[in-house]
Amino acid sequence: MNNKFDALKDDDSGDHDQNEENSTQKDGEKEKNDRDKPQSSTKRKAVVPGPAEHPLQYNYTFWYSRRTPGRPTSSQSYEQNIKQIGTFASVEQFWRFYSHMVRPGDLTGHSDFHLFKEGIKPMWEDDANKNGGKWIIRLRKGLASRCWENLILAMLGEQFMVGEEICGAVVSVRFQEDIISIWNKTASDQATTARIRDTLRRVLNLPPNTIMEYKTHTDSIKDNSSFRNTKITL
Amino acid sequence: MSGSCRRGQTASRAIPAKRLSLPDGAALPPGDYSTTPGGTVFGTTPGGTRIIYDRKFLMECRNSPVAKASPCDLPDIPGVTSPNVEELKIENNHVHNYEEKVGVGEEAQFDMDI
Repeated sequence: MNNKFDALKDDDSGDHDQNEENSTQKDGEKEKNDRDKPQSSTKRKAVVPGPAEHPLQYNYTFWYSRRTPGRPTSSQSYEQNIKQIGTFASVEQFWRFYSHMVRPGDLTGHSDFHLFKEGIKPMWEDDANKNGGKWIIRLRKGLASRCWENLILAMLGEQFMVGEEICGAVVSVRFQEDIISIWNKTASDQATTARIRDTLRRVLNLPPNTIMEYKTHTDSIKDNSSFRNTKITL
Repeated sequence: MSGSCRRGQTASRAIPAKRLSLPDGAALPPGDYSTTPGGTVFGTTPGGTRIIYDRKFLMECRNSPVAKASPCDLPDIPGVTSPNVEELKIENNHVHNYEEKVGVGEEAQFDMDI
């Protein structure tokens, strides 16, 4: 299992290659950003809590993705559309990023924020995710910012109490609804998924009749969809 | 599940008492820090390694000066990240120059902070 994580690290350090690929896209915005920010050099340094900061159980990375209209959503284009915002190791470092990002309710188009443990890519195919799945909660417009904040604070603060099962969280801004989800490692571990569900209800203050859906990433890969054909639990 | 993560460990065993002292100069705002009976600021679980914070504590940390600093390597993604919060607020109150049509009607939501 140690090898698995080492492999992830290798994957991760290879990310800037991916960025470089991105910069060859005919996307002026990306080109400019990559030029302005020499990410590859800062990327390799281990992120650690500063003095007098409050360490987190894990380091996390913020990601952002936005679907380019009219492009197919194959795994490859997804990987190319996803952008790392930054990695943090302490509560204070988290707030620095969070305070300088728009809230999900203010995002436009078909966009997602992802917050994953460092080394885990927000992709179904990642080694840490491939046997996993996610809980999905659909929100009417106007609720995403608050729910997302509560969700990630619970994750960072280790409120889920499921060991190392949590992989990350996603907020997806869509046309008529917003969706928040939390990903875990082992979809078949029902004790874990039940505990995550119950913690979600608690930390998000969900009404008892809120519909919660679970979907394994294997199913997502099969139907190439994040939110269709889910298992519904009341 | 694997035991390979740096700090995580989930084997069940007796809860060891572990005291962690904050460095001098860690000025904390007044409030409840989910202190454990041993007086630690954050909780620990079996293995003594899990760092737990509740929402209230995390929200209080937001007000510390270090938490307000600008992250040095923040990528500039128009409409998503901003060099600083003040600028973002100003921008939100004016016409956006981005190619994206950012709904002006969404301002109210931005201010809906508790």
